[in-house]
Amino acid sequence: MATPMELSCWGGDWGLPSIHTESLIVMAYAKFSGAELKIQTIDWTWKTLTGTVPALNLEDAVVTKPVHIVNYLRKQKYNVDYDLTAKQGADTLAYIALLEEKLHPALLHTFWVDAENYSNVTRPWFASRTPFPLNFYLPCRQASAALNRILLTKGEPPLHSITEVEAKIYSDAKECLNLLSHRLGTSQYFFGNKPTSLDAFVFGFLAPLHKAHLPSGQLQQHLKQLPSLANFCDNIISTYFVQNGLGLSPAGQDTVDANLQKLTQLVNKESNLIEKMDDNLRSSPQHRARRSTNSNASLVAEESSSSTPA
Amino acid sequence: MPNCLFLCATLVHYAGPSYSNYTFHLFHSAAEPWPENAALYQPLKDDQILLSDHASSLAVQAYLRMCNLPVQVVCRANAEYMSPSGKVPFIHVGNQVVSELGPIVQFIKAKGHSLSDGLDEVQKAEMKAYMELVNNMLLTAELYIQWCDENTAKEITRPRFSSPYTWPLNHVLAYQKQWEVRRKMKAIGWAGKTLDQVYEDVSQCCQALSQRLGTQPYFFNKQPTELDALVFGHLFTILTTQLTSDELGEKVKNYSNLLSFCRRIEQNYFEDHDKDSITSSTSRLSKGSFLM
Repeated sequence: MATPMELSCWGGDWGLPSIHTESLIVMAYAKFSGAELKIQTIDWTWKTLTGTVPALNLEDAVVTKPVHIVNYLRKQKYNVDYDLTAKQGADTLAYIALLEEKLHPALLHTFWVDAENYSNVTRPWFASRTPFPLNFYLPCRQASAALNRILLTKGEPPLHSITEVEAKIYSDAKECLNLLSHRLGTSQYFFGNKPTSLDAFVFGFLAPLHKAHLPSGQLQQHLKQLPSLANFCDNIISTYFVQNGLGLSPAGQDTVDANLQKLTQLVNKESNLIEKMDDNLRSSPQHRARRSTNSNASLVAEESSSSTPA
Repeated sequence: MPNCLFLCATLVHYAGPSYSNYTFHLFHSAAEPWPENAALYQPLKDDQILLSDHASSLAVQAYLRMCNLPVQVVCRANAEYMSPSGKVPFIHVGNQVVSELGPIVQFIKAKGHSLSDGLDEVQKAEMKAYMELVNNMLLTAELYIQWCDENTAKEITRPRFSSPYTWPLNHVLAYQKQWEVRRKMKAIGWAGKTLDQVYEDVSQCCQALSQRLGTQPYFFNKQPTELDALVFGHLFTILTTQLTSDELGEKVKNYSNLLSFCRRIEQNYFEDHDKDSITSSTSRLSKGSFLM
C-alpha cells in the first residue's frame, strides 16, 4: 500500500483516459475511492499480445479482471460502497449482471463486428498503437474473439445467422439502456450523491460508446436520446478526469486553443495574401488593358469604395 | 428481410427481449384462451435430466402455477431436440411451441396473464436485473459444475445425459455436449476459474438474493413474479440434488430466508395440487438424498 499500485491498461483517446471498457471501469473506481494508481499503458509494447488487461501489478501478485481488482481495492480500504445498504449492494451485483448479459454483446458488436465501425475506427486505433508486426494480427484476433463470444452466448438456434442475432442483441441493449435510464432518473449517481462501484461499471461500459466517433452507431443514437445517461458520463469525466494531472482534457483544451490561434493566424495571413494579390492584379498590365476600357467607371468606383470603408 | 425483423423487434420492444420471429407468431395466437391440454416437455425425470435443465423446468412450472394455468408435465428422452431453441423446457400450447422462461413469460402475457403488471418502471428494471443475475451467475455456475468439473462430469453428468442412447451414440453425444459447454465457458471467461471460485460466486449471488428478499414473503412484497419463479426453480433444485459433494447445497443453506422462501412457494403452489408433483419424485428440503 505504501508503494503506488501499477495498472497496465490500454491508452486513451476521444477525451477518455482509456477506451477499453474494463480498464475504464478500474480507473473510474480508483478515482472514486481515491486510490493512487500509476497508469502504465501497454500501447506500443509487446504486452498488447501477451498481457491481459487491465492488470493490477502488485509486488507479489497480479490481479486481473475488473471485478477482482475492485474487490482487492475494497480490501485495501479503498471502499466506496461503504455507505450502501445491504439491498443496494445486492442491486449493484444485479445491475452489473444486467450490463454484462444485455449490453456487453451489443457493445462488442458495435466496436468489433460491425464492418464500418471496425474498419474506420477500431482497427486503425488499435493498429496504430501496437508495434509492428503485431498491428496486423492483434485487431483481427480481438475481432474474431468478440464475434465468437457473441455467437456462442447469444447465437443459439434458431438464430443461426449473424443478422438475426444482431437484431436480438441490439434490441436487448436498447432495452437495457432504457432500464438504466429509468433507474438513474434525475439523480446524479445511481445511489444518491456519491459515486459507487456500480457507477464505475456503468461509466466503463457507456463512456466509449458515448465518446467514440462511430460512422454507423445505432446504439450510439439511442444513447444520445437518453439525456440522463449522457449527462452521467459527461459529469463523471468533467468531475474526475479533468482536474487531475492525467492531463488529457486540459491538454485537449490547450491544443484546441492553440489550434484555434493557428487557424486565425492562417486566416489572417491568407487574407493579407489575397489583398496583396489583388493589388498586384490591379497593377498588372493585362488588368490595366481591361481597365482602360471602363477606366472611368472603375476609377470612380474605386475611389468611392476606398472612401466609404474609411 | 432484416427490415421486417427490425419491425417485429420494435413492435415487441415493450414486451421485453425476445426472438423476433416467434413473437410475430405469438401475437397472432393471443386471442385464443389457454387450452386444457397444454403440455410442458422436459427430459426424463429420474434418469436423464440434469441439474441446470431441471432448474429451468421447475422455474417454468412454478410460473405457470403462479398464474393458475394448468399444464401437464411430459417427460421425453428427446425433449432437447424437439425444442425450437434446443433448450428445455418448452411448452406446447394449442399449436404454438415456446421454449425458455423469457419467451414463455411473454407468450403468457400476450394471452392476458401477467404477474409483473403492477410493478413500476424502476421495479421492472430491478426485476430484470435480478433475473439476469440468476442467469449469469447461478445458471452458469450450474453448467460449470456439471460439465467442466471432471469428477462430476464423469460420474454424474455424462452417464445421465447419454442414458437413453445406445453405444456408440451415447459417448458421441455426451462428449459433443461437453465440448460445446466448455467452449462457451471459455468465451465468457469462466474456463480459468477453479471450483472454489465458482462456489464463491454462487455464495455471492445467494447473498445478494437474500439481502434483496430480506423479510418479505416474495421479492416484490405481496405478489410473486417471474423472478420468484426463477429463483425458486434454481434454489430448490440445488437444495434437493445430490452431486459429488454437498458444497453447492451448503452455500444456499447458509441463508435461512432463502430456505423459507423455497418452502413457502413449495407449500403454496406445489403441495395442494396433484400427487405427481415435484415433491414426490424429489425429496423434501430437509433430506436431500436424490442422486442426480
